[in-house]
This record gives sequence, C-alpha cells and structure tokens, in this order.
Amino acid sequence: MQSTHLLAASLCVLAGACATQPDTAAQSAAARAGEPEFRALYKELLEINTTLSVGSCTRAAEAMKAHLVTAGYPQSDLHIIADPKRPQDGNLVAVLPGTDASLKPIMLLAHIDVVEANRADWVRDPFKLTEEGGYFYARGAADDKAMAAIFTDSMVRFKRDGYAPRRGLKLVLTCGEESPNTFNGVKYLIANHRELIDAAFALNEGGGGRLDGKTGKYLFNGIQAGEKLYQDFTLEITNPGGHSSRPAPDNAIYRLSAALEKVSKMDFPIEFNDATRGYFAAMGAITGGAEGADMKAAPEGDPAVIARLRQNPGNNSILHTTCVATQLSGGHAPNALPQRAAANVNCRIFPGHAPEEIRKQIETAIGDPGVKVSFQAEPENPGPPPKLTPDIMKPIEQLTESMFPGVPVVPAMAAGGTDGRFLTPAGIPTYGVSGIFTDGETTFAHGLNERLPIKGLMEGREFLHRLTQAYAGGK
Amino acid sequence: MKHAIKLTAAAFAFAAALMAPSALAQKAQPGEADFRALYKELIEINTTASVGSCTAAAEAMKARLVAAGYPASDLHMIVPPNNPREGNLIAVLPGADTSLKAILLLAHIDVVEANRADWVRDPFKLTEEDGTFYARGAEDDKAQAAIFTDQMVRFKRDGYKPKRTIKLALTCGEEGGFPLNGVSYILEHNRDLIKAAFALNEGAAGQIDSRTGKYVYNGVQAGEKIYQDFELEVTNPGGHSSRPVADNAIYRLADALRKVEGYKFPVEHNTATLGYFARMADLNADKAQAADMRAFAKNPVESDVAERLSKDTTLNATLRTTCVATQLSGGHAPNALPQRATANINCRIFPGHGAAEIQKQLETAVGDPAVKFTMKGLSGPPFPPPPLTPDILGPIEKVSQQLFPGIPVIPQMATGATDGSFLNAAGIPTYGVSGIFEDDERTNAHGLNESVPVKSLLEGREFLYRLTRLYAGGK
Repeated sequence: MQSTHLLAASLCVLAGACATQPDTAAQSAAARAGEPEFRALYKELLEINTTLSVGSCTRAAEAMKAHLVTAGYPQSDLHIIADPKRPQDGNLVAVLPGTDASLKPIMLLAHIDVVEANRADWVRDPFKLTEEGGYFYARGAADDKAMAAIFTDSMVRFKRDGYAPRRGLKLVLTCGEESPNTFNGVKYLIANHRELIDAAFALNEGGGGRLDGKTGKYLFNGIQAGEKLYQDFTLEITNPGGHSSRPAPDNAIYRLSAALEKVSKMDFPIEFNDATRGYFAAMGAITGGAEGADMKAAPEGDPAVIARLRQNPGNNSILHTTCVATQLSGGHAPNALPQRAAANVNCRIFPGHAPEEIRKQIETAIGDPGVKVSFQAEPENPGPPPKLTPDIMKPIEQLTESMFPGVPVVPAMAAGGTDGRFLTPAGIPTYGVSGIFTDGETTFAHGLNERLPIKGLMEGREFLHRLTQAYAGGK
Repeated sequence: MKHAIKLTAAAFAFAAALMAPSALAQKAQPGEADFRALYKELIEINTTASVGSCTAAAEAMKARLVAAGYPASDLHMIVPPNNPREGNLIAVLPGADTSLKAILLLAHIDVVEANRADWVRDPFKLTEEDGTFYARGAEDDKAQAAIFTDQMVRFKRDGYKPKRTIKLALTCGEEGGFPLNGVSYILEHNRDLIKAAFALNEGAAGQIDSRTGKYVYNGVQAGEKIYQDFELEVTNPGGHSSRPVADNAIYRLADALRKVEGYKFPVEHNTATLGYFARMADLNADKAQAADMRAFAKNPVESDVAERLSKDTTLNATLRTTCVATQLSGGHAPNALPQRATANINCRIFPGHGAAEIQKQLETAVGDPAVKFTMKGLSGPPFPPPPLTPDILGPIEKVSQQLFPGIPVIPQMATGATDGSFLNAAGIPTYGVSGIFEDDERTNAHGLNESVPVKSLLEGREFLYRLTRLYAGGK
C-alpha cells in the first residue's frame, strides 16, 4: 500500500502537476529558509565538546543563547540554569510568549550533552563537523544536537519573522541526558524550576522516520509515546559457606540456580496501550503477509496470534514486561562452599507498572525467602504513557502526509531511555517526533562515526518548524 | 588445607571423654609470649593470591630463624623467578645421625581470600576474643606454620641436637589461588631440600563436641581424596537485553547446576574408611547412627543404611566422591544478554578414580552438550594411602595420652586434598596431625570469621613440639 502512495508521489513530482500542493510548496519553502545560518548553528553546536569527561554543556548553552539574543529575545526570556555544584553542566530555557494566556505553552526539548567519543577510535575527528557523501559526521550529529539545533534555529526564526504564536513556546536545552546516574538536567529543572518549564506537552527525541537502507524508500514516520521502564534487580543469597570437601545440602549457588529457573519461566501478562496498538496496526499494514495479519489482530488478544508474534523477540518485547538474567557471580574460592551468589535480572517494565510491583512478582515467582530481590539502583517514578490524542496526532499526520505523501505515521513505545520518562510523570506528556528519516542501522548514535543523512536533517528541520507552528497556532 | 575435614559430626560425643583436662592446662609453656607474637605477625601478613605475598611471610619467618641462630646455609628462600609473591621457605636443623632420613614439618602459609566487608572483624588483624583467635588463617594453616616455626626457633635456642635431621617447609599456593603450588614447585626444582623419611602436615585435628565442649578424639590423617576442579561453560551470541530470547547462557548454566546438585556418586569404601566407621561408632552418642556405622562397616554397600549415613555431610564425604558448585560468573553488562556463563565444580574424588572418569559422569548427569566441561589445574595420579605403621602411630598415641589422657587417636582418610597428595605421590609418606582440638562448627576455615580456640592452639603447640622431638630423638 505504501509503495502505491510513494509511486503516486513521485509521479506528482515528475509531472510537475501537483495541483493541490501550491500552499504546501510555499510553506515548505518558508520553513526551509535560512539554511546557511542553520548549518552554521548546527556546526557551532557540534564542535563544542559536551561530553561528561571534558566537555561543557554550559558553553554550548551560552552559544545557543547568544543566537537568541541576536535574534531579539530579551534577557528576561532567557535562562541559563546550572546546578551550583555542577557549573559546567548548564541548561538553557528560552521563552517565546503566546498571545493566548489561557493556553499552556509547548516545550521543545533537546539535550545538548553527548556520549563520550575517542578520537583515536573514530575515522574523523568526532568534534569537527564533516560533510561527506551526503552525511554529516560528528558525535551528536544525530543524538541529540540535530534536534537541539533545529529547535534553536526555529526559535531564532520565529523571533526574527515576528511570529506571534497563540500558545507560548519554550525551548529547553538540557545537559546530563546521557549520564542519568551522575545527574540529569531535566530532573534538576523539574525539581527546581517546575514553573519555568511548565507546558501542555513536550516534543522530544525518541521518534523518527525509518527508511529502507537498500532502496532508500521511506517506510514510516515513527512517533514515540511512552517507553518501557528500565530496572535492574539484584538477586542475592548468602550462606555460611564452609569447606567444599563436605558439601552441605543448602548451597547458595544451587538455590540461586533454582531461583533463576523460576525467573526464566516468568511470563508477564500481555498488554497494550495507545502506542503499541497504533504500532501493531500500522506496522501490520507495512509488514503484510501472515505476520502483518497477526500484528493487526494482536490487540484482540487471540492467544494463538500472540503466541506466534512472540516468536519474534522484537514483537515480544513490546507485548509485555520482560525480565532476563544478564549477570551472574558467586563464590569466593574454588575450594570453598559459596557464601554468596548473586544475579542481575534486567527488566523492561511495561508502562503503568511500578518497579516495586515487578519486584514483588519476581519474589513470588522465586518463592524462596532466602533469595533477596532488591533494586540494583533507585527506581525511577513510573507513570502512564502519554495519551496519543487527536490533538497530538492530527498535526503530525497531516504534516507527514503533506511532506511524505503515503508514508504512514507509526506510534511506538521505546524500550526506554529518553528524558520523557521524567517529564511525563511530572505532568508534561512527552512525545518523540522528528521527521528525520534514517535507516535505523547506520546512524551509529552512541557508537563510532555517528552520522546523519543531510537530506533527513533538512527535512526534519522543515517538519519540526511546521509542526511547532501547527501546534502553536497564531501568525 | 584445601579441603579439610576431620571426619566428625555434631552428634558425636565421646561417652567416656570426660572433661579431658589437658595435662598442660596447669602451667604456661615456655616462650608462649614469643609464640603469640610470631603467630600474630604471620597472620597479619596478607598471603591471599589476590593481593598478598607469601614471600613477605616467608621472609618474616626466616628473620626469626636467623635471630635464633640458624646459619644462612641452612635457610633457603625458594621464590619462583616469574612468581615473586609465591616464595617458600625451607629451614634445616641437621641431625646427629646422618644414616637416618629427615623428618619434614610441612605447613602452607598462603590463605583463602577474605573480604573485609563480609567479616565481623578485620580478617588480617589477629583478634583475641572470649578465648578464641579470629583471623583468616587462624587455623588453616598459619596455626601449624607458626607452631612449626616456633619449635624450630626453640630447638636452636635450647641447643637441642636431634638424631634425625628436622626440616621445616613453609610453602605457598596450597589453596589454589596462586598459579603455582609451592610443594610441587620444590619437588621439581629443589627436591633434595625436602627429601624426608616422612612428613607431618595439616589435615587432621582433635575433635571437640560442639554441644558439650568435650574432647572426642585426636585425628590422624593417612590418605586423602583427590582434589579436582571442573569448569562448566555456556556461550551464547548474546544481544540487547530489551529483547530477551529463549536461549540464555545463564539459564542454561543454572539448569546444568541443578542437575549437578541432584547427582549422587555411588557409595564406596576402603580399609581406612571401614576402620573409621567401626571405631567412630563407639564414640557416637546417636545410637541409631552408631548402629548404622557399624552395619556399614560390616556390609559396605548401597542401602538404606548408607542412605541414612549420607544425610550427615561429614559421613557423606567419607562414603563417596562429592562434587559441588563453588563459583559462578556470567554476563558482561546489566543491559546485555549474557554471552558467557561459567561455574566451578569442585570435586573430591574417592581414591581409585581418575578425574576424567568423574568428568564423564558429570557430563552424563548434565546431559546438555552446550555445557562445556574443562578440567582445571593439575590432576595428579591416584596414590595409595601412606602406611600407618607403629613407628608413626606409636609416638602420636604416646604424646596424645600424655596431653589428652583417655582420648582415643583415630586414623582417618581426609575428604579433600592437602599438599600431602604431592608428597605422597613423590614417595614421602605424609601424615596429618596437629593436636589442635576444634569444634568444626565454629572454626569455619575457608569461610567467614575463621577462628581457633586459644587453648587448643597452645595445646597443639605443645603436642607437636613433643611429637617432633620424639620422632627425631636426641637431646
């Protein structure tokens, strides 16, 4: 079905006969204006090292603030915020007030810190923007300085163009997204500046378009609404131990083994939410065939259908909470009975369940009070996933159809890991959307030689600029 | 000792064992203060394989012998060139009668690992509390190492001229943590230095009834089971833990370990164990168990009798080969499916069987070809137990009756390996004897909070001092 649409779209372009598109074409041209300035801003942002080890988010935030000052934002609408204990890990909040004070603003959220990158391991300098073969290469080229640059560029242009949105806009550039165990900018802002960042909802990383790496065909535009909650549990059993020449019936390693056997048989109930229902419906259509039919039928819950879908680990992972043993340790000497045996069980919790609930279920499944089940790290506050209401979905669908005719919008629930997991439970529903299409395999976010297709970046810039205006209204 | 065990049971109470007031309880033995200082010094030198140094401990003991008057030519530090922390010490007190072969006093100075956080007291500080010494190595085997070194010091100071040459060997690597075993290294490189008619070693102790505190018997070890470690390994391609798959290295290993747990080796016997059952029956206050022991001594076959005896971990270890899981490791990150999981299985093989045969039995029990078995370390050839001739047993019984009147001497087959396995195989009959009376439930060698009663340690010092002199003759 989508190939038919794509074909039609190509014909439309080839024939130059896109009678219904002039308005769109004008919008598109407007949304793409000022590309050289955008490229310069993107380059500037990428080349400021914002790694935890040696970089400074504060410098990057100051640089972005300077663009906004130049564009005409008053100082009172610009806030550099850093935890006094972490002066190099600053965040920037910029406000463009709306004309209708009764409407809550929209947050444009992007993080400006990046994962570490070792020059020696990379082909090119990770902190120099390199343009090569239709790609931009740099650490952060995709994650997440693409959206940070796009949002900042939009804010600059809104001010310059005298755009007066009905809803206010808040740009929030944050630090520490990649190092939540050390600190996290969004958590800090929620705790200390909740009013300043208050918004009806937030647009964030986590979504994106998917294209076929071989054919270049655009497959779907993914919208992230909610994510599974990451939680590690420690299973631990202790024992007085003793000499291994005289084995006792009670052995820490055997008891842990028995516990792991129970964990391996745990089967969490099948669940659906807006995002996964939408995902199965849309991906079912894209996938086609018997598997596609199963995906479309999934939310009806036929056990035979579910059982078939679960053969695929990818499908299985979005059907329910999963837990799996990932690490193991025990004993202190080959010739001594073990005094301690422990395992790490990694869970991806379906939205809406508290880690404590899962912990209790693991405990019950094991059924051995000698095996202690504890949180490996302090659990995060889970919440229900953000609702994919028509108010949110319609503008995305209309704009996707306008820019990428025939390409479906596919809601998705991520396996975990964006700042949405903090903002959504804090009362600001957060959606991942970018309109940047990649093949999903050769972007190498977090890895070596991170890169982004230039065409995708420019499309994303147009997409997000227009989407923000569609949500915000006004002129 | 690498294995341990005096064949005992909590249920044993020597009916006639009275209070066993030891003959030396009345007066302090000469040089006790010096001995305590030496013992403390040795204990507080960390000799674990991870961070410790046997060489430092050996040097410290050597310094005491130098101070006592030993010429440098009679003191030999044997440090393997590539293993500088694995030093051994050999000291020689020449005998008057060169036609007599030497007597070797053997003790190892390395200790099992000890984690400060798990212990009530610092394992590398000697703590005396309520008549008990607590420390890693308090019993195994720095008690005997200190006693032997102390007597060498006293012999020299007192001008004692033995008929037989007396050799002290303090060795490293007995517990298996270090790459090398000191005794086998010396046998290979400095064999003449430790040649002897026979050796006294760890491997046996006096037994205290844990409930009554009464002395039950004084053990003498002659012969032992073979020590063998096997590694079980499961590998897997791994993957992202957000998408668990059915085949998991940790679960497969856990399943294999449950099979090992459930596997029982057949009941066996030899003359030493039959003698043990027959004599120990007389000391057993548990009449039903005593009857079973006598029955088994008469008819040593698989039976309900053997089954009942197997419930006692000590007796079980005398009845058959035992194998037990002692160490566990697996996985490389909390958020990745494990690529590898391994376990150590520690076996104590009943004399007469080879390690390869035991491996086959375990492999069959596990029944999963994906679980790879590897034999770890050297597997020496089986050897016959050293003969308990009157020349050996007579002096032990004599000194035992002097110090512990009425307490029987009981020959034993140890259920695990000491360095005696190397010496016996090399033609030096090696006997475990200490005269240190212990309550097995409290000593916990290899385990947490290892301890030895102060009174027992001092008695052992006197016992071994008299025994060495009796064997060596002279004045």
